[in-house]
Amino acid sequence: MKMKKIFLMVLSFICLLSANTGCRPKKKGVTIGISFETLQTEYWVASMAAIKSECERNGINYIVAVSNGDANRQFEQVNNFISQGVDGIVITPKDAHTIVPIIKAANRASIPIGIYNRLPADHAGEHVAVVADNYEITKSTVRYMGELARASGRKHKAMILIGDLGDINAIYRRDGFNDGIKEFEDVVEVVSRIPTEWNQEKALAGVTNALQANPDISFIFTSSDFLFPSIISALKNADKYHPIGHENHVIFGGFDGDPMAYSLLKEQYLDADGVQDVFYECNSLVQAILSLIEGGKVGRKIVDPGFVIHQKNLNEKATDMWGANLQTP
Amino acid sequence: MTRFQKAIQLLLNYSTVVLFLVVLVTFGLLSPKFLTLGNITNILIQSSSLTILAIGMTFVLLTAGIDLSVGSIMFVVGVISGKLVVIGLPIWWAIPLVLVIGLLFGLVNAFFIFKLKIVPFIVTLATFYVGRGLGLYISETRAINLPESFLQIGSSKLLGLPMPIVILLLVLIIGHFVLSSTQFGRQVYAVGNDMAKARKAGVPVKKILLTVYLICGLCAAISSLVALAQLGAVSPTFGYQNEFMAIAAAVLGGTSLFGGKGNILPGTLIGALLIQSIQNGLVIINVNPYIYPVITGTVIFLIVMIDSLRHKSVQKALRTKTTI
Repeated sequence: MKMKKIFLMVLSFICLLSANTGCRPKKKGVTIGISFETLQTEYWVASMAAIKSECERNGINYIVAVSNGDANRQFEQVNNFISQGVDGIVITPKDAHTIVPIIKAANRASIPIGIYNRLPADHAGEHVAVVADNYEITKSTVRYMGELARASGRKHKAMILIGDLGDINAIYRRDGFNDGIKEFEDVVEVVSRIPTEWNQEKALAGVTNALQANPDISFIFTSSDFLFPSIISALKNADKYHPIGHENHVIFGGFDGDPMAYSLLKEQYLDADGVQDVFYECNSLVQAILSLIEGGKVGRKIVDPGFVIHQKNLNEKATDMWGANLQTP
Repeated sequence: MTRFQKAIQLLLNYSTVVLFLVVLVTFGLLSPKFLTLGNITNILIQSSSLTILAIGMTFVLLTAGIDLSVGSIMFVVGVISGKLVVIGLPIWWAIPLVLVIGLLFGLVNAFFIFKLKIVPFIVTLATFYVGRGLGLYISETRAINLPESFLQIGSSKLLGLPMPIVILLLVLIIGHFVLSSTQFGRQVYAVGNDMAKARKAGVPVKKILLTVYLICGLCAAISSLVALAQLGAVSPTFGYQNEFMAIAAAVLGGTSLFGGKGNILPGTLIGALLIQSIQNGLVIINVNPYIYPVITGTVIFLIVMIDSLRHKSVQKALRTKTTI
């Protein structure tokens, strides 16, 4: 009787542990570990949902872990995946360098590892990575905005909101902006570059300060859509938030393709948005991992070319925009 | 003491104010747009949320404590007030409710610190994680866009002053009065200087600790509402790392991390304004974004170095006095 009680207690404890690590009911077949560095923007939430959905579509079991910005914890989580005997790993790293020991640990255990959205440093081990072409998508978005500036027949002063300078994606987007805007030097002068560290409060202060220094700014690009509320708030306070067609409309563009970007495009406040194709990226990565598990070969890098959505192609491209497929809360 | 030594001592005593003036003059010379009435108002509005947060932190630091949970309290308050307003609850009902949430967090911190004798760092680190987790759970990690009425509060004026500045002034005056002119304020300093001696002298140490954490929680909730009224949205990163900014503002203003030393007016106010003025000035003169952390870090280093020199000078003077 006592043994039975102990057995039941141990069983309950194991069930509890399974619930805490997000382990789905075990099916026969492949299991992968999914580790995200953060879920702190809608982009990451949508990505996690898309990866899970693709796993379910392929009958893959998954274990989920989120490290909340802690690279060491992410390393431990991946080691836990390895000791649990997963067949593959999908991971969104904190940055290009902290992922290197994680990749090497997976390599030592001969477990295929797929990196989502952030490219590892050059000397990383065997892996497959899927990344959006941040540079080209941004450059194309800025070019479209530049054409609008030129078509307006007047000169513009521009501002860019830069992300975390330690994030390689933020750097590519900044470079894409700089190279894209060069072609429009005759009509656009960049007067303000604001480091936001991906923080809305810093973005609000930065945009307000920039508008204070240059009240005639009429061209704004943000390296992430999630900074839109800060920009809109600052523009409203400066009485500069007007829809397309208004004489004081600020040419406005962003990057990501989130639900707010879709709403702003529909309401004609946003001119253009660079879109990362979340569905393409997530599906490609899961398929690549599945292929590696089955002994196949895949390339080291899968590039999401993304696309630019704007007022002219909104209806045509909206179905591919992940933000258009999510409801705004 | 020679005149030169006296001058150095005076400079060390007012180092933060001196540095603040140096920052103002430097940016003023670099850009004519920096020292305009519009931009000064702008700096005050932007620093309102941080200053209120730092005022609460000053109370805690004065007792030799620390509260790492204030950024998370801001987040939880933001998420809950956002959700309440979005589902149709009038703002004026939501505000008192979320202020109570701030107080509750303060109460939880205080309970574990003085009842279970757990060090403030550990307790508030735990509530930091609990608060952020709770906020993420309630918001489902989605941004909450607040109705226009929220932004209208942030941009409204009272007696010609922007609302964030009015709220800041109210909190500042009350905080300063409580610390400098009440028995409670004197007891806060006594607890921070030497808790054991304060207890022997009959100071109700538990009551003081409970009250300072309640004040800190309440200030975090007010700070959150002031920030939201300007931002108009709650993102999952709202309030993130604000605890460090609040500690920095208080310490820059002369509040000692070891307790018993510091003030809100001018100390904490100047500390917060200094941080915000640097951020503002760097954008106004369009500095390379890579330079931002270098300059901010250098200023913080300078202040800490000056504070250390001041501390050494006081210690030296005390030793000399004892020898005589």
